[in-house]
Amino acid sequence: MHIADGFLPAPVSLLGYALTGGGLWFSLRKISKTYEDPQEHIPKTSLLTAAFFVGSLINIPVPPSSVHLLLNGMLGVLLGYYAFPAIVVGLFFQAVMFQHGGMSTLGVNAAMLGFPALLSGYLFKLRLSFGEETPRRLGVFAFAAGASAVALSTLIFFGLIVTTIPADFDADLERSATFVLMMSQIPLIFIEGVFTSILVSFLRQVKPSLIEGF
Amino acid sequence: MQHGLDTYAGLSSPIHRWEPRCKFVGLMALIFAFSAVDALQLLPVMLLMTGVLYKLSRLPGSYLRQRLHYPGYFLLGAVVLLPLTTGETVLLDLGWLQIRWEGILAAIPIVVRFLCIVTLTLVLFGTSPLATTLRAMRSLGVPSLITDMMLLFYRYLYDLLARLRQVQTAMRLRGFNPTELSWRTLRMLGALTGTLLVTSYEQSEQVYQAMRLRGYGQRTAQRVMAPIQSQDAIALGVMLLLAAAFVIAQVSLSLAVP
Repeated sequence: MHIADGFLPAPVSLLGYALTGGGLWFSLRKISKTYEDPQEHIPKTSLLTAAFFVGSLINIPVPPSSVHLLLNGMLGVLLGYYAFPAIVVGLFFQAVMFQHGGMSTLGVNAAMLGFPALLSGYLFKLRLSFGEETPRRLGVFAFAAGASAVALSTLIFFGLIVTTIPADFDADLERSATFVLMMSQIPLIFIEGVFTSILVSFLRQVKPSLIEGF
Repeated sequence: MQHGLDTYAGLSSPIHRWEPRCKFVGLMALIFAFSAVDALQLLPVMLLMTGVLYKLSRLPGSYLRQRLHYPGYFLLGAVVLLPLTTGETVLLDLGWLQIRWEGILAAIPIVVRFLCIVTLTLVLFGTSPLATTLRAMRSLGVPSLITDMMLLFYRYLYDLLARLRQVQTAMRLRGFNPTELSWRTLRMLGALTGTLLVTSYEQSEQVYQAMRLRGYGQRTAQRVMAPIQSQDAIALGVMLLLAAAFVIAQVSLSLAVP
């Protein structure tokens, strides 16, 4: 779900950079207020970001083909306020090294994946206000965080596609194609939620500090 | 590092020698100006200018072809879809398939913008070592938290890719079939991703300790960039003027068309 160079009008690309700038400012401000030494978490965040980048390359079989997960909800769950800068860094390298997305659309892509990741982080933290944590509750909140981030990113993606599509495009065809494409995302949203839930349960057993750290 | 972004950063060319901060600002301005271009008359000029800059950079053609390989498929989808679905004027009617003029006109600027911006991105990041470009970005105001993350990310990305391949091979050798969607497959893939996360996390703790021992986080350890020379500033001025010219030309042409 990356918008490539050349597909968006320049004002939308600039607006994307403005939104991403705002998201970064907010995240960095929160990081400096929340953590005594923000630099302490840089190696951890960078390596986890690289691990997510690599993890998103794993093929998930969805007949008749396979898909790659976004994992932006999972980043929000594990990295908290560091998730937004982590997504900017990951997308920057996807654009310059592998040409997924692009430099002119980096702002739009980062805002599209970053803000839902921050919301997922908040959503996952909500579980702490429900008293003692059980594995089931942890799984449910992880599912909600993973699925909601992808659902929100998908909505933003299709919103952008619909509003920036060429004016000559057949309106009925556009509506039908958008509807079909959005419906096709529902299984992916579900799979992303399940995958996040499995991943959080795995980490709870193997390395609990990873889901308590941020 | 195989097929790294800065494999050809050691070549000698006017673009390689251009001061990194000026190069970053100049080429980014041009990238944004190109993203604003829609007028068909400006597209050949844009292509020509991109070609000249790529030639000046002395980067090999194979570098560009290799990098365009994957996004080319994505682009192909858009190029094929637009002429089939957009517009009223049918150029070619094959019964179930109609190729429309307006769709072709909508696809051409997208393709040209894409090619030009990707090529400029490669010129920008392929003509200096990544560490130098990141240092330039930092001195231009990009927060150090971001540039430090970028450096560490780039340093460990290939290690993690190699580790993923190793683990996937081991799983296949033990009979894991990753092609059918089932609860078990998802659990196995979840465990694979979790293992990558845990090993990266443990590695990051060691990395951080080693970095602190070497003075990471101390202001005195940060290097200051050399002052900008007049020829670098002139080249930046030229690039900014060209970017502004593209935007002005685009606005004038779009206002001229009713």
